Amino acid sequence: MKALLFACCVVFLSAVLANADLRPPIKPANQNAAQPTPEPKYILHTGLEISTDPKAYEARLQISQSQLQSFRAALEGAPGNPPVVGGIAVSAPRTIIAGLLMFLAISIGGILLARSVSFGRTRKATAAIIIVAVVLGAAAIITRGNAGPPGSYRWRNLPQALAKGEPTTGGVDIEVVPDDQLQGRMRLIIPLKKQNAPGEE
Amino acid sequence: MQSAVELRSWPTARSVPSARVFVAIVVLCLIASAAFASLLPLQLSIVTVFLFAGPHNWFELRYFLMRLPVRFGRSRNFFLTAFVGLGVLTLVYVLLPLVYNTTTLSEEAWSTVIATWNTALIVWLGALIWLRSKQKPRANWRWLIPLGLALCSLNWLGPNFFSLAIVYVHPLIALWFLDRHLRRTRPAWSRAYRRSLCLLPLILVGMIWQLSQTSMLADNNGLFWRITQHSGAEVLPQVSSHLLVSVHLFLEMLHYAVWIVALPLIGSRARFWDVKTVPVARHPKGFPRLVGGVLVTALIAVAALWFGFSIDYATTRDVYFTVAIAHVLAEAPFLLRMI
Repeated sequence: MKALLFACCVVFLSAVLANADLRPPIKPANQNAAQPTPEPKYILHTGLEISTDPKAYEARLQISQSQLQSFRAALEGAPGNPPVVGGIAVSAPRTIIAGLLMFLAISIGGILLARSVSFGRTRKATAAIIIVAVVLGAAAIITRGNAGPPGSYRWRNLPQALAKGEPTTGGVDIEVVPDDQLQGRMRLIIPLKKQNAPGEE
Repeated sequence: MQSAVELRSWPTARSVPSARVFVAIVVLCLIASAAFASLLPLQLSIVTVFLFAGPHNWFELRYFLMRLPVRFGRSRNFFLTAFVGLGVLTLVYVLLPLVYNTTTLSEEAWSTVIATWNTALIVWLGALIWLRSKQKPRANWRWLIPLGLALCSLNWLGPNFFSLAIVYVHPLIALWFLDRHLRRTRPAWSRAYRRSLCLLPLILVGMIWQLSQTSMLADNNGLFWRITQHSGAEVLPQVSSHLLVSVHLFLEMLHYAVWIVALPLIGSRARFWDVKTVPVARHPKGFPRLVGGVLVTALIAVAALWFGFSIDYATTRDVYFTVAIAHVLAEAPFLLRMI
């Protein structure tokens, strides 16, 4: 019974860790409005470098040809370059087959481990629980979460880098929003938290 | 007993430089390959495939013929499974592009087709391992069952990633062949070789560190596009294609170096063009004409490949990498025979 409770705790904790970095659900900007604001259409995730150029007279946005082709393909509904996570387990039959095979792999692996290793029963149970938790956690991270530090981590030093004239590189999600939200402009949203000055509450 | 017979049939080693010289050459090759692959990925990829793709297949074929016993004996089932699987899997793989061009399969259906082929490959490998394990009762290979099932599962989650993994893992198999070969013919070098291989992951990490932030390679013509696609630029759009092509080229260069330079030179005093040095041709009950015919035909194929590359490099490259799956698959049974 204790082992079962311990197993449940480990699995739940691993699920929390796996989901920790999930993007929160996007809420409509104006919930009271009669017409809800359409959600931005996600196109792709790519890299972005923000750099300064003291000789430039105008801000410039440079896009590579392959990325432009990806934008076009996504807008036309054609299969462009899917994100890595998006390419995994998007099909129900494939996910079912993968799940069954993984179930068999873990089951047989566990039996072989239990039969081969000569340590005590408690250790065996602990090892099996940890293995199950790790596998479930890894599967959850692969399929649902985005492994690694949050995207905002790479942008944390942007103000200092801009002040020094140094480039900063990080990930960026390309979204297409309705015209009335941007009024002919482009908007770059950087996930930067407000940093209090020393002594400021 | 059979291994002992195989060892005796292998030509004896000649006196060659010490292990230190060998390790120095290995380290130099690793560093030089990584440097060139990082600096000129597209250009070197074209030149490397043009020059060495065909010859490395010829040397590989010859090496496999050297490992082939005159009579299969109790390995009959193993070799039967190996050759039937090799033929069927290669045929289906070669037919896949034709199916893709002639039918209108959805992306999902196509992923299922690829996942099915990959599963068949894993099942075939599993059958070979099982048959081989019956000849090695002391070896405990049961843990490969859950591993194979886990690989199948991952394959069904992302068939394209699994196929890409084969592209990157295959060049490393040559290093495994060299390790087994050294263990048999030059045990003194084996330890030093394994130590020098510790440099490989470090170099790979260094390449990833240096090239992960580089801009994408220009794939604005058909040939460059093919090279970046072959390295996985479409499957991993977030990763710099410069990094992908460089890493793949680096591994390919090592692969070619092992098959064309290392294995023919190490441990064999025999002249590689002499058919009589192949045990299955030299044996009184062997097949010298068949072996000679196979090697000459393969030599003609190498010349034809060079001719094709000269006329239409891009198309020949496509055809080569489709047909070359045969040599990727053929490595499995012969490697298993050496374990």
